[in-house]
Amino acid sequence: MIEVHLYGKLRRFAEDQDVRSTSIVRVPWEEGDTVAAVVERLGIPRADLGSNLFVDGRYADFNSPVSDGARLGLFPDDMQLLYKWYYAPKQASASASGNRDSLVDDLADASASTNEAQT
Amino acid sequence: MERILRINMTDRTAIYEDVPETYKERAGRWLTSSIIHDEVPATCHPLGPNNKLVFSPGIVTGTSSPTSSRISVGGKSPLTGGIKEANAGTGWARRLANLGIRALVVDGQATDGFWLVKITCDGATFEPADAWTGEKLSAVYPTVFDKHDGVETVDICSIGVAGEHKMPAAGICFNDQNGRPSRYAGRGGLGAVMGSKGLKFIVVDSKGAPGITPSNQEVFDGGRKKMAAALTEHAITKPEGALNSYGTAVLVNIINEVGGLPTNNFRYGRFDGAAKIAGEAIFEGNKERTGSTLYNHACSPGCIIRCSNTWHREDGTEHTSCIEYESAWALGANCGIDNLDQVAELNQLCNDYGLDTIEIGGTIAVAMEGGLAEFGDGERAIELLHEIGQGTPLGKMLGAGAVVTGKTLGVARVPAVKGQNMPAYEPRAIKGIGMTYAISTMGADHTSGYTIAPEILGVSGKLDPLNPDKAELARNFQYATAFIDTTGHCLFIAFAILDIASGFEGMIEECNGMLGTAWTADDVGRIGKEILDMERAFNQQAGFTPADDRLPEFMIYEKLPPHDVTWDIADSELDKVFGG
Repeated sequence: MIEVHLYGKLRRFAEDQDVRSTSIVRVPWEEGDTVAAVVERLGIPRADLGSNLFVDGRYADFNSPVSDGARLGLFPDDMQLLYKWYYAPKQASASASGNRDSLVDDLADASASTNEAQT
Repeated sequence: MERILRINMTDRTAIYEDVPETYKERAGRWLTSSIIHDEVPATCHPLGPNNKLVFSPGIVTGTSSPTSSRISVGGKSPLTGGIKEANAGTGWARRLANLGIRALVVDGQATDGFWLVKITCDGATFEPADAWTGEKLSAVYPTVFDKHDGVETVDICSIGVAGEHKMPAAGICFNDQNGRPSRYAGRGGLGAVMGSKGLKFIVVDSKGAPGITPSNQEVFDGGRKKMAAALTEHAITKPEGALNSYGTAVLVNIINEVGGLPTNNFRYGRFDGAAKIAGEAIFEGNKERTGSTLYNHACSPGCIIRCSNTWHREDGTEHTSCIEYESAWALGANCGIDNLDQVAELNQLCNDYGLDTIEIGGTIAVAMEGGLAEFGDGERAIELLHEIGQGTPLGKMLGAGAVVTGKTLGVARVPAVKGQNMPAYEPRAIKGIGMTYAISTMGADHTSGYTIAPEILGVSGKLDPLNPDKAELARNFQYATAFIDTTGHCLFIAFAILDIASGFEGMIEECNGMLGTAWTADDVGRIGKEILDMERAFNQQAGFTPADDRLPEFMIYEKLPPHDVTWDIADSELDKVFGG
């Protein structure tokens, strides 16, 4: 079983939609589950989601594996305040950093998250 | 022609000086830290006659540039014993800038009560303010506005009773656009420094002010438009985006989900009652109680982001503004309190007594740890706040902050760095911010540079403590932050300018337009480094060593649920950030 915690406008996919609690949906686990697969089974449109996707409290992306018993936390696109450059490693950047210099490139590289690169 | 206004509280004189050549490009944090570094003996007592209090609007403050009404306040901190810059968004900053005052330097000490200084086009005048002391700021501000022609004409800077008692947790208060005493340069006890000068209010009236004009209007306008476009476009900063709808408290549920919401004095990383005090609960609660959908308001003129919220009582009347993420956490989760009305009351009491919500929430939590109250007992927490407001001996212990309270009550678990309590991100779960807490010149401070190491939260595999990039990233975030604090922009522009390249260019072009400089992105790092170097030099002269750039010991030996992690960044890694 997977426990999915939904926030903001995603609460509509749960029975308990009270904003003063966590809106939780329990979904049976399937072999090879990923965030994308669970999201699809719940019928949540991709457009409603942003980069704030968490598996067991760890920053994740659509391709992240989801194991049996996992807690999945999903925030909608209009709530993604925990920003991706807080987390992302320094890596080859897909973002257009233009002519900015090394300081800005460092910061911009940090903003090219695995999430963005893989979706 | 911009000038420096110097006020001496000993003999109550005011003189204008030209901005010296070396300072001619400096404003905001760059200027406050320069003046403190250059003029204040690092070993002076923060509440003694040799400390100074410096106010400086940013480079573009007072112009039509969006989200730029920040005022930097600097001094030697009675909380940390080091240099301090705290900033706030308020129309007060715009008025000071429009009077052509690049910096206001308060010196000396009045020995005959408290005073109100009024600054106008014609200079500064002084009047006794003792009649307004000992009262809640929400009661005092309306009468001061009435006497000085209202919020359309003046803005007010002041201290509350906490500052009058020179408590190290006292902040400096400014009014928002509706005249509420609610916007704080909160951290580090600068309110106590203002109190030590005998200064209760600084009223600024910009009637007839010359205003400030760019050196190059075209360059400035180009930059301003790019900045406005970036802020309007970005999902976080745009109208009805995350910040405008839910306020900064949208973070409560998010940080709780990642297991980094410090709960019960940094005992746990998740709080069962988090959803009850989060931005969504505030948004929906207001809707139920007022019967209408309330989007947030701008704390200061010209802000596009507009993240400042209100909270309403059951009868629909306004209870407090603003319940920031940091305040909802400090006075809520960190004290185990999940009742939003109690959190709102604690928040309002901090506003009324002139206190930093982060330091006070942290202090109440340490007091709970020390047995003065049970975690979750909101009513008792409210009583403790009143002790501070009444200036009782117990209240003075609490008003001295978390470290003093922990020492007094025999508590070993005090989550502070350089004497300042940590804000709302658990460093064991979010290690990059822990590095910022450790090495910041300000003590534990989340606004010095948001750096959160990726590897800890599982994005990219194994932790490599020797990875030099982490130190470099930590350093560069602090440099960029120090630069933003110099421009006069709110730090929240960072979301938009780091994502949207033209927004970043716009920020630099605005500055070039104002100053006639030819800065490029290289100068952002150069200036940031210059600021940090000065601040570090001051702290070093004040007696700080690398041993002060450390997190509290309990975080090294105590595992934090739910991730069951300890603080395991090597000291050598911390020392590497600034090559110390």
